[in-house]
Amino acid sequence: MPKILRVLLWTAISLLGALALATIALHRGEQINALWLVVAAVSSYAVGYRFYSSFISAKVLALDPLRATPAERLNNGRDFLPTNKWVVFGHHFAAIAGPGPLVGPVLAAQFGYLPGTLWIIAGAVLGGCVQDFVILLFSVRRDGKSLTEMAKSEIGPTGGVVAYVAVIGIIVILLGATALIVVNALKSSPWGTFTIAMTMPIALLMGVYLRRIRPGRVLETSVLGFILVLAAIVGGQWVSETPAWAAVFTLTGPTLAMLIIVYGFAASSLPVWLLLAPRDYLSTFVKLGTISLLAVGIVALRPSLHMPPLTRFADGTGPVFAGTIFPFAFITIACGAISGFHSLISSGTTPKLIRRETETRLVGYGGMLAESMVAIMAMIAASILQPGVYFAVNSPAGIVGQAPEAAAAAITAWGFPVTAAQMATLAHAVGEQTLYNRTGGAPAFAVGMAQIFSNTLGGHALMALWYHFAIMFEALFILTIIDAGTRVGRFMLQDALGHIWKPLGRTSWYPSILFTSAAVVAAWGNFLWQGVKDPLGGINSLWPLFGICNQLLATVALCVATVIIVKTGRARYVLVTLLPLCWLVAVTFTASWHKVLDPNPRVGFLAHAGQLAAARANPRLIFNDRLDAAVTGVLSVMVALILIESGLECARIISGSKSAATKEAPFVMTRMAREEQL
Amino acid sequence: MKVGFLAGDGRTIRTGLLSAISRVASLGLEALREIFDESAYQRFLDRSRLESSATAYAIFQQENEQAKSSRPRCC
Repeated sequence: MPKILRVLLWTAISLLGALALATIALHRGEQINALWLVVAAVSSYAVGYRFYSSFISAKVLALDPLRATPAERLNNGRDFLPTNKWVVFGHHFAAIAGPGPLVGPVLAAQFGYLPGTLWIIAGAVLGGCVQDFVILLFSVRRDGKSLTEMAKSEIGPTGGVVAYVAVIGIIVILLGATALIVVNALKSSPWGTFTIAMTMPIALLMGVYLRRIRPGRVLETSVLGFILVLAAIVGGQWVSETPAWAAVFTLTGPTLAMLIIVYGFAASSLPVWLLLAPRDYLSTFVKLGTISLLAVGIVALRPSLHMPPLTRFADGTGPVFAGTIFPFAFITIACGAISGFHSLISSGTTPKLIRRETETRLVGYGGMLAESMVAIMAMIAASILQPGVYFAVNSPAGIVGQAPEAAAAAITAWGFPVTAAQMATLAHAVGEQTLYNRTGGAPAFAVGMAQIFSNTLGGHALMALWYHFAIMFEALFILTIIDAGTRVGRFMLQDALGHIWKPLGRTSWYPSILFTSAAVVAAWGNFLWQGVKDPLGGINSLWPLFGICNQLLATVALCVATVIIVKTGRARYVLVTLLPLCWLVAVTFTASWHKVLDPNPRVGFLAHAGQLAAARANPRLIFNDRLDAAVTGVLSVMVALILIESGLECARIISGSKSAATKEAPFVMTRMAREEQL
Repeated sequence: MKVGFLAGDGRTIRTGLLSAISRVASLGLEALREIFDESAYQRFLDRSRLESSATAYAIFQQENEQAKSSRPRCC
């Protein structure tokens, strides 16, 4: 394309993005169309990818197309394998996309759609994509080393220990928080519980089909499994309308929590290839399909946003979770903007598949842009709901009361009109007895998604099916995260305990498997139980805790990246990672301070513990608050240590008192360039 | 082809579009086969010179179980 056309095209895209951003930021009073959010995001992502990631590739990372990657040098046909960049992109996206970008924006919508949307776009372009990209490239240049290994070798032993503790911490809290989302979505819902229960026999059938009838035909098996799951959703309606069966599948929060804890332990400790592998495939299949369907639905329907750009809860008194926009919006939305957990994927499987260094830009930076787009879609799904409905679904009984009339009156008094009759009609339309107090984000997202889908395909008659499809989709891949996460946590614990007593480190020794599985499940199960018993719905404490852990891990990843950039003699470009690092430090440390020490009992763990102690409440609840405070405090102190160590390391290198030696693998010329020329 | 495509020859445009769609579809399928471990299984069969069978798939699953289950899944 001629240069003048290129200039005109990119000018037009930039102006369109600016117009869309101005529209969503300045529009007040009237509803705006959801497509403005899509246009603002897509234009910003296009400009960010074309210019910012190109600048990082050329100046900061100096990507070298002639340098052989570990996939080429260490090719073993298994872990290390040069793979087409689009295939790696799909693989990477499937690994980083989880419930986070769906749930976080739904919860943050209590501030209005504006703060979350701006953070998702700016956070991804300037922070999240940069983190994923640089960590992926640095791992590629170190033979696919993990984040903890890079922290240890580039920053020092403290870096390694902190990264390890942060990873274990985030896994435990992630599992507790996401399990709570499933519990809140399925409690008193025979339809949803039946559908999810049916995924177990369906997975077993898939396992038998995959192993005995059509070995290795995973795609075909997943399509069959998906058809069976759709049949289970339809069957769920019959179950919910049949009193005898409905009673069997109507479970309370504590019962569901116990079942999930038992499931997590079984999944981690038993050789259950028959169940877990097919469920994993089914979950990925449904996830990719549903996300694509949602994108098509939003573009086809072009819904209006009913949520205002800013709500009165910007002052920190929100019912979904307490706390002001800064810092809480920025820890509530992690995965759609910047997520430390991604650095584990970028330094895990993905670097071992990269064929050429130059392809890390598409996979690392581009993969995170796709994830960010998922978060924008979740924000749209939450914001198309009437605000009164959104708050009725997401507010805990401890804030608005349990009686429908009282809850509707409380929410209406906040300025978001809703009636008990309106909520009853909506609950009936989606096949539920009630939609009040469904904290956690998943049910609100499911209602929004059902509205988009039913208005695009099937009309009002299919609303209940679409709602339960959305609940099944979220619960299915959260349960997959729980079983996969428990196993990962178990392996990490076995690895650590193996240094104390060797047999404990043997991943196939059954006593060790049982002990470490029980320890990991007990850790996240404790957080889940705490959430289930919390009168404020649990999400108020657990999601911010998870957000803080996730962003602290991102802080560790950006520390590693910053130190490496300084060591490679490119300190003049250090702002690329230093700016998001400074922002995250400000956000996470402010949030940690509030969560531990804020005198408001709805915000500060210790103030809440004090309030409970004064009211002579259950000592267990008081202990939970103190535990949450301790976890937040310990992680913050450890990350402060890694910050200091990174700062000192950079200062030593810049002042010349230490030689800047990085631990990159030696340069080897790729054979692919020559093969491509021939 | 690119020149013809830009020149606006109807048949060339159709052929170009069809070939682009087919390229995208085959890449998408390749990505799905990689995500769903079908390609990994094929590589395993090639490497171990086995025919696809229940036994071969059981060995492949056993070999992959540890690596697969120690992979973190993001939030």
